[in-house]
Order: sequence, then structure tokens, then C-alpha cells
Amino acid sequence: MKVVFFDTITVSLPKDKIYSRLGYSKGKTQLKDRQKEVVERYIEDALDFINLKGAGRRVPVAEISPESITLSGGNALKSKSLVKLFSKCSEILFMGATAGKKVVEVIEKNSAGKDITSAVIFDAVASEMVDGALDWIMGYFGQQIRRENKYVVERRFSAGYGDFLLDSQKVMCDILEIDKLGVVLSKEFILLPEKSVTAVAGIMEG
Amino acid sequence: MKDIKSILKKRIVILDGATATELQKRGMPQGASPESWCLKNADIISAVHKDYKKAGADIVYTCTFGANRIKLKEHGLDNVTKINRQIALIARNAVGGNTIIAGDIGPTGKFIEPFGHLKFEQAVKVYKEQVKGLLSGGVDIFIIETMIDIQEARAALIAVKEITDKFTMVTMTYENSGRTLGGTDPITALVTLQSLGADAVGCNCSAGPRQMMDFIKLMKPYARVPLIAKPNAGIPKLIKGQTIFNMGPKEFASSGREFISWGVNMLGGCCGTTPEHIKQLKRKISDIRPLSRKEKRVSVLSSARKTIFIDSKTPMLIAGECINPTGKKDLKQELRQGKTSIVCELAKKQERNGAGLLDVNVGVSGIDEKDTLRNIIGLLSVISELPLIIDSARPEAIEAALRIYPGRALINSISAEKGKLKKLLSIAAKYGAMFIALALDEKGIPDTFEKRKKIIEYIVSQARPNGFNKEDIIVDGITMTVSSHPEQARETIKTISWCSRIFNINTVIGLSNISFGLPKRSWVNAAYLAMAQAEGLSMVIANPFKEEIINIKKASDVLTGKDKNALSFISHFRESSSPNTGKSFASDMRYEAAELFTAITDGNREGVETIVDEAVKSGIDPRKLVDVMTLAINNVGDLFDKKEYFLPQLIASAEAMKTSFKRLEPFLKKDISAKAKKTVVILATVKGDVHDIGKNIVALMLKNHGFSVIDLGKDISPAKIIEQIKRHKSPIVGLSALMTTTMVNMKEVTTMARKQRLNCRFVVGGAVVTKSYACSIGAEYADNGVDAVRVVKRLR
Repeated sequence: MKVVFFDTITVSLPKDKIYSRLGYSKGKTQLKDRQKEVVERYIEDALDFINLKGAGRRVPVAEISPESITLSGGNALKSKSLVKLFSKCSEILFMGATAGKKVVEVIEKNSAGKDITSAVIFDAVASEMVDGALDWIMGYFGQQIRRENKYVVERRFSAGYGDFLLDSQKVMCDILEIDKLGVVLSKEFILLPEKSVTAVAGIMEG
Repeated sequence: MKDIKSILKKRIVILDGATATELQKRGMPQGASPESWCLKNADIISAVHKDYKKAGADIVYTCTFGANRIKLKEHGLDNVTKINRQIALIARNAVGGNTIIAGDIGPTGKFIEPFGHLKFEQAVKVYKEQVKGLLSGGVDIFIIETMIDIQEARAALIAVKEITDKFTMVTMTYENSGRTLGGTDPITALVTLQSLGADAVGCNCSAGPRQMMDFIKLMKPYARVPLIAKPNAGIPKLIKGQTIFNMGPKEFASSGREFISWGVNMLGGCCGTTPEHIKQLKRKISDIRPLSRKEKRVSVLSSARKTIFIDSKTPMLIAGECINPTGKKDLKQELRQGKTSIVCELAKKQERNGAGLLDVNVGVSGIDEKDTLRNIIGLLSVISELPLIIDSARPEAIEAALRIYPGRALINSISAEKGKLKKLLSIAAKYGAMFIALALDEKGIPDTFEKRKKIIEYIVSQARPNGFNKEDIIVDGITMTVSSHPEQARETIKTISWCSRIFNINTVIGLSNISFGLPKRSWVNAAYLAMAQAEGLSMVIANPFKEEIINIKKASDVLTGKDKNALSFISHFRESSSPNTGKSFASDMRYEAAELFTAITDGNREGVETIVDEAVKSGIDPRKLVDVMTLAINNVGDLFDKKEYFLPQLIASAEAMKTSFKRLEPFLKKDISAKAKKTVVILATVKGDVHDIGKNIVALMLKNHGFSVIDLGKDISPAKIIEQIKRHKSPIVGLSALMTTTMVNMKEVTTMARKQRLNCRFVVGGAVVTKSYACSIGAEYADNGVDAVRVVKRLR
């Protein structure tokens, strides 16, 4: 199936997750009103620079061996953990999302000494918003395939964890035609701009 | 055929259950187009319809969920009208004339502008084509279902309503978060869709009965139309690798009574439900009458993601007036160039400053106002949650904006001018907008309250036949400039008073005009606002950046009983509470030093320079101030370790300290020896890695603790790091990496250093770096910025 591109992804601001990512501990961390105002203002400001875009693609599973999942079209995902988790899946949902270039540029500029506090907060907001965008893409495909009596399995996986090695980014980016989102993959398999993520989730038949 | 409206008055209407899952059970292969398959297997879809009729369904849905041009194209089909007509005819032939056939309209799978690429008019066209096909197949009513995007639901509803006046139901699909994927909550969807002319509104799919009941509860108080629930057979569960809807027919049916008690009027089933589910449901609820409608008569506006209520009990609303080119040269220029950055900035800033909705006026000479207003309204619908006021004198511009606006907007304004009144009322009615009634006619603005009153009553009387109630109208008292019309200020106040106390209708004023030509205008504006609020003003169109306005509004909300227990007022003016962040240290210091200690502890980056200046001026030795700052930053480190501070507080304090140092530097210059003693630390993010925010934090922290930091930056080759170590004879080197693929380059650096017998120690850190990895490459490990300072101090 073709890649579906999303130019506008609406994600509710995940404030709890942002605070938590920044180390806020409920019941322990104490914020004065003025400090809270600053944090909240930066969270809001970050949104000005974030432009969530994404892509998703359903790819049928052709074959599953003990060590890899071969996809229709010949690409393969090498990971024993993925094989275990996706063994009953008829398709794999590939997804990618980016917060765009602008926010990364601002983070870099501010983090280089201008205003590191804002950089740290922008960084957390962008990360959580991109994560929220992946939730959104899963939700979108979940809606689309429900009538086919299929479901997206809730857990998703990104390359770079366990035995799902970071070099799998190459296959994922090719499948998602990620360059159309303005995202490129470095030699070290790092997605650029920085606040960009890819992931896979299983699709099961009901 | 049964008359849907008359059944709704008497009893609960039973809808059918799932079609797609039933077809699959009866042989439809995975991945097939249900529409195409049904045409080839008419007997099977007929059997499904018959089974639902037999089970007790009053309404069956045609199997045309994906029978729009965009979806059919995915399966290589293009004869939209024929496919819809034939499938509708199959349904009719299956259930006969006594069961209501609902022409089923589903999503295109595309997002509609302003949220996506598919042009709104294109979407309307796509749906109109389907509607015509269904009508030619003889459907009785329409169902627009499983919508995840409020704008797509609007496009489909407009398509139906522009072709036929048949009863049209709309159901949205909500995620676990209680919102659609587009971020619309059930109340907002209800408000938007019922205003736009949906005859029944509700939800289907995604949720089981329990969760869907919560959506019905939320909607009921505001529903002017019957409510629909079509839940799945429970929440799907993964059992032994299979997704199972585990709610059997009896359990499913047992939720029926509760659904009705919360106000549902039309009940059926979605994914996983079968004719047996519907049969049991019918059995359980056949003796229950629907809840009598008790909807609150409310003035309500919506955006795609938010609803606001306007009433006499809640705080007065501020409508931000700033998106208006009058007197704004830069905005005028931007609008003429077709740019939008100032508009976006104004929208966001007004929202942050307490605006509850945004007035949008783009009236500039030399532009196409219709196109510009439409585009700006679309843009603002995406970037702001606030409902919008469409402010234009041109009916065609207002209509274009209303058509694209994915919510219920407020029109500013409709006067009693004969040419415009009828036209604008009809536009407002078509799109379900609220409007501001402007008390003026062809003769201009009446000079007395009595004359204004007559015009207001006239506009309201003319609006009623168009379906408007008083709740849908807000009266503009009309603010005149007090310097040129001194007597008019009282007339406006009288108008507000009469509207709110006697005529029972909401009121608004455009505030700024009152003070035109006077000095210190904000005070006049604020005083007039207080007077109007005392008389019951519901909304003010004003500049939310003016502190006087916001403060007076907050105070007046308390005094008029609209801010219960003054909670909002107190929150607005609350003095900073003081957690235990070093008071005991500060209490032992001289006042100026204590101020500096507190400023650093609190991360007060803006005020710290003045505090340093004051402290120096008071005669405190600058070196003592350095001690105070060090004490403060150590205190912050402790608070961070105890998790009483989190990262932004730590960094803000570090930045406040950096700023203080910079300010103190000229006074410390004589102390050259201290500078000479600084230990040099080299920092770098290793080759291939571009994530360097953590390294930047460490640099800031180390500098504050008296180290001389040479920050090489990111993506730095081992050779360059080695070269810099040699050049600066640095005894300590900090390396960071975020990814597993780049972390290995740390080892390359430590190995190279060892080979070249460099006498330096390494400290490593970063998201994927662990203590054991650090150990394996002969380096120390630091978990965070505070820890890095600790480790580096130990190695010094």
C-alpha cells in the first residue's frame, strides 16, 4: 500500500508527559508561581516552532523466520524480539513523525548559550509532541482498518532498542519515503532534523 | 415508511448492528471492497439487512460506508452514482417499505482543509455525488458515520443539506482520550453539528457501551437534537493472538437501559455486534420511553477543539480585538502581501493573555477580503483553540468564512439595515452561526436607549423565523466616543442593563472606541468596562494586552458574583508562594546578598543583574558575592538531587548564576590569580552525534563551578578531540553521545588517548551511556549535569 502523508497532525499538548520528561516528580518537586509561569510560557512558546508532520504505511508480512520478518516487496526487519511480538501479524504499520526543522534550529541556537532553559523545555515539548504524533498516526490507521476487521496492536517499537538495531532505520525510512517529510538519515542512522522518530507496530486480523 | 421524527417522540429508535464484520463472517474476504463485494453477493448483504430487521432494527444502514469517489478509487471503482443507487436498492428490496433505510456515508480517509490537503469544496463535491446516488436508490434518511474529523463531518452534512432536507444523523468516533483524532470532544462536535443542521448527533465505533455512555452524558445537557449511540461489542482484547470483542449479546443489551437513562434516543451496535445483539437490545428496552429533553438553553460557540458558553453566571468573556488592521500599518502590509505571521502571533499572544475568543477582521483596501478572511479563518482554526468571531461588513466574505470554519462561529455583526438583515440572517442560519445584533439601521446609530431597544427587538423578531432563539444572539450596546458624544456613554449602559435584566439576552461592547481622543485611554476603558459589567455585560471586545482591562475584568467578575469564591481573581494576583528553597541560608545574609541568593535559587534571570548592581553598590565585597552565588548554586544542586527541583529550575538557576558572574566580572578583574588557577575541561559530543543539549548543560554547570570549559561542539572527530587535549593540556575531558551507533566513538577517543599516553581523565554521559559502558572504556560516568560537576570536582 502507498504511504499516507499527514501535513497537519493535531496533538493535545501532553503537559504531564513534558513535566515528567523534565524530571518533575509529583509530591516532591516544588515550583514557585513565577517559576511555573516561566515553564508554562516556554511550553507554549515551543508550540510556535513545532510543525508536526507524519507518514504511515501498511506493509503486508510475506514471511516470518526465527530471526527476521520479511515484508512484501522483499525488505526485512531483523530482530528476534520483533519476530516474537509480530508473529501473528498479517501486516506491519510503519510510521514516522517529525516536529520539523524550525524547533530544532531554535533549540540549537538557544542551547548554545542564549537561553538553555528554553532549549531544555523546547526539547522536551518537541519530543513529547512527536511521540503524540505517532499515537495519532496509530489512531488514524486504527480507524481506517477497523472495517476490515483488523487492529493495530497498541505497542510500537523504534529501532535502537534491544536487538532491533538502529541500522533498521534505513529500511524504515525507505518504506516511509521519509525524505518527503523533510527528514534525512545520517550515516550513523540518526534522523535529521533531530526531533524525528520512526516506529513499527503490528496489525492483526480480528 | 415509518416517520423517523414521530417514532423519536414515542420511543427509542433501534439501529442495526455491524455490517462489515457480519459480511466477513459470511464469506467476504479480507481486503475486499465491501461495496463491490455486495454488488456481486446481493443475497448475502440482503440477508444481513433482513436479519437486522428481524432482530428489531427500525433503521438499517446501506452498505455504502466507503462508496465515495475517493475510497472507491482505492479499489479501482469509479461509477459512484450507480454503485450507491444499486446498493440502496438492495437494502430496500431486502427490508421492504416499512423499515427505514439510511444512506450510509463514511470518511474519505483524507483530511479536509484547513486540517489537510483535500479542499473543502472538493470534499463537499465528493459527498454530493454519493448523496445523489443514494437518493436515486430511494434511501429515506442519511447517516454520516465514523467521522474522525469534524471538518469532514461538516463537509458531508453540508453536501446532504444542499441537496435534500431528509433527516440526517451524524456520528463521530472518539478515541480513549475522549476526543476524535482531530481533537474534537463530544460537546464541541454536538454544538457544531446540531447548529449546522444535523437532525441527530452521536457517536459510533471505537468504544464499548461503558465508555460511550460517558460521551452521551456529556452531550445530553446541550443536545437540541436526538442523541445516537452505536457502540462496539465491548473493547477488543487480544486473546491468544486474536482480537476478540468479548461482549456477548445479553451483556451488550444490558447497557441499553442505562444508555436511555442518560438520554440516548437512537441505539444500535457497531463492530463486533450481530443481529443477536440487536435482538437482545430491543428486548431489553422495548418498554422504556426516551428521557424527556431537558437541554439547557445556552449561548454556545465552538472551534474544532473547544466549546465556550456565554451566560450570566460565568466570568465575562474577553474577545481579543487585535486581529484588525485598523491603525496597524504592519498588519495591513502583511495582509496585502498575503502573509500571516503577525496574525498568528497576535492570535497566540491574545490567547495567552486571557482572551476567550478572537475577533478576526481583515478589512484592508486593495485585497480580496473574501479570500483573505477565508484563509485567515482556516489558519486560525488550526493554530488556536479559541472560537472565532467573523468580523466583516461584507456578507459574501462572512459566508466564505463560515463555510470553512470548523466550528460554530459568531458573526460580527448583523444590523437592522434592510438590504443586509435578511441576507445575513439566512447565511447565519444556514451555517448555524451565532451573531451580534447591532442596534442600528439605515438611519444610523440611534441616540437614545429607547430607539436602540426598538431596533434590537426588531432584529430578534426577524431572526426567529430563521430558527434563532435569544441564546443565539448577542446584542452590541454600541460604544460611542465619550469625548465627542458625552451623553452616549450612559445610553449604551442603559441598553446593556435592559438587555441583561429585562430582555434576557447576552450583550457585548467594543470597548476601545469609548476613549478615542483621550489621554491615558486604558483607564477610561477600564472604568467603562467596570460600569458595563455591573449592568451584566456578557462579553467585551477589547485588547487583552492591557493590564488595566484584565485586572478590572477580574475584579468585576468577583463583585458581580461571576467568580465564585474569587478563585480566578486570587489565582490571577496570587503572590508567589515560597517553597523551602534556601530561606535558612538567606536569613543569615545581608539583605542585598540574600536577594542575590534568592534570585539565583529561583532562577530569576531577568532581575539578577539589578540585584548584583545593588549588592555591589551597598559595599559588599564582590568576592563575597561570588561565595553567596556558589552557596546558592550548591543549594540548587541539592534541591535537584532531592527532586525538589526539576531540570528547568536547575538550568534557570545556572543561567542566573552565569548572568551574575558576567555582571560581577569587571569588579573581579584584579583577582587574576583566581582566574589562573581554573582547571580546563574539554567537552565534546562525539563524531556522528548531533544531540548536544546535555553537553551544553554540563558546560554551563561546570563554568558556574569555576572550571574553564572548552566546548568543542558536536559531531567531533576523535582526532580533533585528541589534538585539543594536547593543545590545552586538559586534565579532564567530557564526552557525550545519545545514540548506540555513536556511543562507540567514545571508545575510539579513550583508546587513542591511551595509545598516545595522554594523561587525562574522561567523563562520559548521554541517554544510552551506562556506568558499565563507561567503566569498559576506562572512563568515569556522570548521570546528569549536577553529577558531572561532582565527578569533575573529584577528578580535579
